[in-house]
Amino acid sequence: MEENINQWKRWCTGTRDVLLFLLPLLFLAVFFYFPLVSILNEGLTDESGRFTLRHIAAVLTDRYSIRVILFTVEQAFISTAASVLLGLPGAYILARYDFRGKSIVRAATTVPFVLPSIIVVLGFVIFFGNNGLLNRALMAALPLDEPPLRILYSMKAIILAHTFYNFPICIRLVSAVWSRVNPNLEKAATSLGARRLRLFWHVLLPQISPGILAAAALIFIYCFTSFAIILVLGGGPRYTTLEVAIYRYAKVSLDLKAASALAIVESVLSVIFMYAYIKFQKRVSFAQQVHLRYEKKPLGTMLRSPAGVLAVLYLIITFLLIIAPMVSAVGYSFLKRSGWAGRTSFSFEWYRRLITELSTSAFAVSYRASIRNSLFFGALTVALSLPLGTSIAYLTTRKRFPGRGLLESFAMLPLGISSIILGLGYIKAYQSLPVDITGSWYAIAFAHTVIAYPFVLRAATSVFRKINPRLIQAALSLGATPWRTFFRVELPIIKSGLIAGATFAFAISIGEINATLMLYNPQFTTIPIAIYRLISSYNFYAAAALGTVLMGICFAVFLLIDKIGFEVS
Amino acid sequence: MSVQLENITKRYPDFFIDVDFSAAKGEIVTLLGPSGCGKTTTLHIIAGFIPPDTGKIFLNGQDVTALPPHGRRVGLVFQDYALFPNMNVYRNIAFGPRMQGWSNKQITRRVKELLSLIRLPGSEQRSVTELSGGEQQRIALARALAPNPELLLLDEPLSALDARLRKQLRSEIKRIQRELELTTIYVTHDQEEALAISDRVVVMQNGHIEQAGTSFDIYHRPKTRFVAEFVGITNMLAARVSGMKGRFVRLESLEGRFLAGFDGALESGQEVTLLVRPEKCTLNNENTGGNRVRGKITECEYLGDSTVISLVLKQALFRVKLFGPLSCRVGEEVQVSFLPEDCWLLKS
Repeated sequence: MEENINQWKRWCTGTRDVLLFLLPLLFLAVFFYFPLVSILNEGLTDESGRFTLRHIAAVLTDRYSIRVILFTVEQAFISTAASVLLGLPGAYILARYDFRGKSIVRAATTVPFVLPSIIVVLGFVIFFGNNGLLNRALMAALPLDEPPLRILYSMKAIILAHTFYNFPICIRLVSAVWSRVNPNLEKAATSLGARRLRLFWHVLLPQISPGILAAAALIFIYCFTSFAIILVLGGGPRYTTLEVAIYRYAKVSLDLKAASALAIVESVLSVIFMYAYIKFQKRVSFAQQVHLRYEKKPLGTMLRSPAGVLAVLYLIITFLLIIAPMVSAVGYSFLKRSGWAGRTSFSFEWYRRLITELSTSAFAVSYRASIRNSLFFGALTVALSLPLGTSIAYLTTRKRFPGRGLLESFAMLPLGISSIILGLGYIKAYQSLPVDITGSWYAIAFAHTVIAYPFVLRAATSVFRKINPRLIQAALSLGATPWRTFFRVELPIIKSGLIAGATFAFAISIGEINATLMLYNPQFTTIPIAIYRLISSYNFYAAAALGTVLMGICFAVFLLIDKIGFEVS
Repeated sequence: MSVQLENITKRYPDFFIDVDFSAAKGEIVTLLGPSGCGKTTTLHIIAGFIPPDTGKIFLNGQDVTALPPHGRRVGLVFQDYALFPNMNVYRNIAFGPRMQGWSNKQITRRVKELLSLIRLPGSEQRSVTELSGGEQQRIALARALAPNPELLLLDEPLSALDARLRKQLRSEIKRIQRELELTTIYVTHDQEEALAISDRVVVMQNGHIEQAGTSFDIYHRPKTRFVAEFVGITNMLAARVSGMKGRFVRLESLEGRFLAGFDGALESGQEVTLLVRPEKCTLNNENTGGNRVRGKITECEYLGDSTVISLVLKQALFRVKLFGPLSCRVGEEVQVSFLPEDCWLLKS
């Protein structure tokens, strides 16, 4: 009897682990790997289904494609360099100075991770646009008849938007590394005669360079796969990147062969960049084992020196740069123009429409429906990615089995594949099946889940690793069953990490526009897509109102993540 | 080179440093005190990292208070070594000479010379991260010595190492210091290390100097209760001066009458504390003409080469350290004897 029960228990544990193993794998296989393989298949076979490199070769020799590839790399490279250069002084200030409001500045550096790209686009158009706040202010101040700054729809716009979006990443990553540099190294070098530049070059730079490289690699990946910013701010074939080109092939010219071939090229490149980032990131964590910290200097006393004044100026200007576009978007949401040439006036019109609007016609953008859809997809994404990420994290941190490392890499690969390509994969994969899932609500939800769950996985992995295994042993030795140990001991400890991961997944889903745009049908318009369409029809005030709602949601998410203290990078 | 700190003060919101001491040429002086007493800050003031609020620092009679760290010809060794992790052994040691603009030939010769001085010849190309703690500490010493400093500052250089290695490196540092006749300031919180390595010891507490003197003086002639308690175990008995007997002071206390040696002036009736080191006491020895006191054994702690016996006298606690084999029973009544010349007094 006893023996039977034990056997049954063992069988249950075994079954549980197998289920934990199989369900996530099944999900990833169907909704990530199958679409991916479909793209490979489409891009690497000819009409009769035989393997061929013809499409890839065509893409790599076609003048248009070559220009797109080169432009993608070029704009990502310039944007990255600009972001790193703008971010480095901030990293130094955060690492070496203490001042009032520092926690706010530090928190503001999380903005790029949480803020949807469409908001950046919106704020940018409203602030820097030809008819934007900056131009209007300059025209009023200098008396000019023409807007002096023509930034929009050019390389400048792309670089500027990418820089403002991404330089806080550099501040965040590099200041973390910089403040961990052993201050005694600097003292030792100074006492041995190294000063200023030589001190920085020989001693400091080698310590912080892994951090700089990691930040640069991450920013490069973001700029390389950036979509909405290029789509709106670039405009025209001259400023087209791989992502936008794939989108146009798939949705406009309906050439899935070319789209797939480009997607393969882009994925190979982005996986290489991802690999570089992971390499650099490992070197950063290796450099983290010093416990001494810099003695922080109060910024107030530094105001007496020129360097300190520069630091304060830098902080104020960059803070404004992050905040101004968003604030102007909020300001715009309370404005309204009567007729095409009418005067702009203060109005709650757009917010009233959010509440009272009744029409849900497919042509006019329905504000309320878009908010409802976004919240729905966000909730669904959380509901799906939480168990998915947690079970994989549990397996890879707790269980030893052959191929564990492989499972980890398989599970993290969605991070290296752009969401435009994921959308393309869905289109391709389910085109031939009897049920076409593109345009359905669940396709969008599954795509969001695939995009967002790696963050849950990462958060869960880090909290699982943090638990002292002795605690579990203690609970088991005190007579708790494994399940009760999980619910009574482990869950309370990992709870905050899981909440942070889930919140982050929610933020990603709610801001997602790339895959959504690939898969969407007007019935399931989300906030970012509604904003995109309103910007396209030059209704900036209404776009600003929806943008304000989205910012509000993201701000709440940001506060929650900041409170829990989840490391987003 | 000689060092002199003249009325150096430095005020922090919650801390005040006030030091005044000197080291003669070729001397090794220890700053000894508990953590947070201001030793390292004092060292950093000498090195030039922290400007003092008042006072002057003289190196070889020259006022260097306003000079930056690299202008002082001071070598510095850190507790955590602070070796540059991005450079190998050679480049770490060569760093100072390179900054001074030495020629490559000179640098190579200097590194070789130092590696043989620290007894790690041939390890130029090794990575500093793969060295053991003791090796890293020796490389850190070589790096500090490379540009021929006139003053060597060591900040708890051995505290990250295990006890055996600590003793070995301690005599190594002493040997190198002697060989180079290098004036050295050595910061430590380990009293045994301080006594073993120093020509003179400066005991610090709370940012000020409690006592400066030779190791013998610090151990046997403490001037304050803090020094007596911090440097080794000491028995302390409250007593009152009742007169003189020859060159000894006559004392009365709850535990009995004692005689004690003392150099300073005392008045009859003055309250004092009688100090005697545990290892200067004997048990049940009828032959000494010295002080005697009875007590009951409460604990016997066998340390291998010696035994520490804790006792209760009438009221006071007392400890005796005896060398060689002996039998010790808890609860036994014994007589403790110690000589007047082994006693010392603290004025209350």
